[in-house]
Amino acid sequence: MARLRVHAPQDLVAGASLLAACLFALWAAAPLDGGRLGAPGPGLLPRVLAILVGISGLWLVVVSLFRPGESLGRWPVRGPLFISLAVVVFALTIRTPGLAVAGPAAILVSGAASPETRWRELAVFAVAVTVGCILLFRSLLHLPIPIFIIPGWVVL
Amino acid sequence: MSELLGHLSLGFSVAFTLSNLGLCFVGCLVGTLIGVLPGIGPIATITMLLPVTFGLPPIGALIMLAGIYYGAQYGGSTTAILVNIPGEVTSVVTTIDGHQMARQGRAGAALGIAAIGSFFAGTVATLTIAALAVPLTKVALLFGPAEYASLMTAGLAFAVVLARGSIAKSIAMVFLGLLLSTVGQDLETGADRMSFGVSSLSDGFDFAVLAMGLFGFAEVMRNLTVEQARDVVHARIGRLLPTGAEFRQSAGPIARGTLLGAILGILPGNGAVLGPFASYALEKKIGRDPKRFGRGAIEGVAGPEAANNAGAQTSFIPLLTLGIPPNAVMALMVGAMTIHGIVPGPLVMTRNASLFWGVIASMWLGNLMLLVINLPLIGLWVRLLKVPYRLLYPAIVIVCCVGIYSVNNSPGDVALTAVVALLGYAASRLGFESAPLLLGFVLGRLLEENLRRALAISRGDLSIFVHRPVSAWLLFTGLVVLVVAVLPSIRSRREEVFVE
Repeated sequence: MARLRVHAPQDLVAGASLLAACLFALWAAAPLDGGRLGAPGPGLLPRVLAILVGISGLWLVVVSLFRPGESLGRWPVRGPLFISLAVVVFALTIRTPGLAVAGPAAILVSGAASPETRWRELAVFAVAVTVGCILLFRSLLHLPIPIFIIPGWVVL
Repeated sequence: MSELLGHLSLGFSVAFTLSNLGLCFVGCLVGTLIGVLPGIGPIATITMLLPVTFGLPPIGALIMLAGIYYGAQYGGSTTAILVNIPGEVTSVVTTIDGHQMARQGRAGAALGIAAIGSFFAGTVATLTIAALAVPLTKVALLFGPAEYASLMTAGLAFAVVLARGSIAKSIAMVFLGLLLSTVGQDLETGADRMSFGVSSLSDGFDFAVLAMGLFGFAEVMRNLTVEQARDVVHARIGRLLPTGAEFRQSAGPIARGTLLGAILGILPGNGAVLGPFASYALEKKIGRDPKRFGRGAIEGVAGPEAANNAGAQTSFIPLLTLGIPPNAVMALMVGAMTIHGIVPGPLVMTRNASLFWGVIASMWLGNLMLLVINLPLIGLWVRLLKVPYRLLYPAIVIVCCVGIYSVNNSPGDVALTAVVALLGYAASRLGFESAPLLLGFVLGRLLEENLRRALAISRGDLSIFVHRPVSAWLLFTGLVVLVVAVLPSIRSRREEVFVE
């Protein structure tokens, strides 16, 4: 008997992730009423779609065992990590103390995502971009973005 | 005919107010500004600039967005010619001969003919839209739920076929997008679906969060991992106005490209992508000396650029008449329109005539402005192209953050976008494309609504979709397209076409 060998690792993982997504959606939609075709309930379509996602996942997994395909390749962590970290920092600081702090903070954290960053240059740039954002979004477009707020002290 | 003229004059009277002209201008300018940046396509550009339009009245916002869209398209072509980095699939073809021309010191002529060809194509496409809008809207009013559901299904089938990469993965992404669209309150029963009690999820997954995560942040993450070899031309830009001989060489390709692009653009499911490829192939085939192509033939820039712009514009037709976005960019437009309280579809034209025709008129104005502002500003674009990515991406991140926060003034949305971005990045590492997912997501609610209505009419009998002739025909077309795409011989051709 020929041993099963993975020919396309990328497709295998892709298919497996789809299967996981399918199971997760089925679980999440489990309490919903499916209804009948004549009177479809809220759960019908989510369930059908979850199963369709699962089938495509299964297809990818099966094919990956027979047909040669791409390897998983490199998965650099640094970029995605610091970019998402920068976004989270922004989310945490935008209400208080506001954009005047959130802007430079997010830019500086995102700077760590690239090995080419020159920190002094980035610091100057961060201030400039933040000022630009404040002028554009708050002064020009009047969007209600908090600029600088220390509760009970300063509100801008 | 007089009806058409009446509509157009109504449109121009709306578009020709000072503020709307200004918005169109700013939209084109800013769209080009962001679109020129390498690695940022129209989708990312529109997502980033969406919040800029929030404070505007709906018509001004739409005019500005349309301007941003053309600007982003044109900016992509500029980058393709000067740096050899296509902003998106449709400008891939332009890199072939356009960049060669730039290396020979004829960048000016390439950019000039691209702008002129695009303007001509834009004019024809605007007229096409104006002429087709009324009859198509009448057809749309005859559509029942079954026809709508089938049309969307066919559109999604097209989208799968026209996406890059593995068909199985594209299909999965469409299903995943549809699945995501079911999150939130059920339209009929009001039941909370898969929202885990998170209140912001019960209104449905936010469109802006998804688009910004997948096309803003995830794109930055992807760009950071590839070594960007930027090959900015050092040769002279040269004169912008093409010579008489170059004009004569380009006239035919522009006309043919316009026709091809306009027709393909109307197809649901991103037919516009095919325009530039088809045009390039055609010109190469009928050209007297095919060997010139790939070595800086001006026809290879003029034809595809005209096709690109014509398709970009006629792809508004399914959106404006049927309310169905044919591709991810138009899906963004739907999102933008809904934010401004306009539900795209056949009713917009009757209920909101001045808005409808105003937007169409401003399409032409936008094209004219691109011609006027872009050529003199080429020096600025070249300088912008030299800004290193290490400074570019933090700026992109911060603008996206502010944008996503402004949609609902919610820090939670911003954090959720980070999660979406990580998932999107992982998905792209696994060879998934984001565009089909976004299209599935946008069509999802509409599709479900019509599916359920159709089933209610037929009392649960699925055969309604094949018994009604239009619906059956649409489903059949979708099926044929899918089957053909899976056939091995076509598949290899498809891969060839999308090889960059």
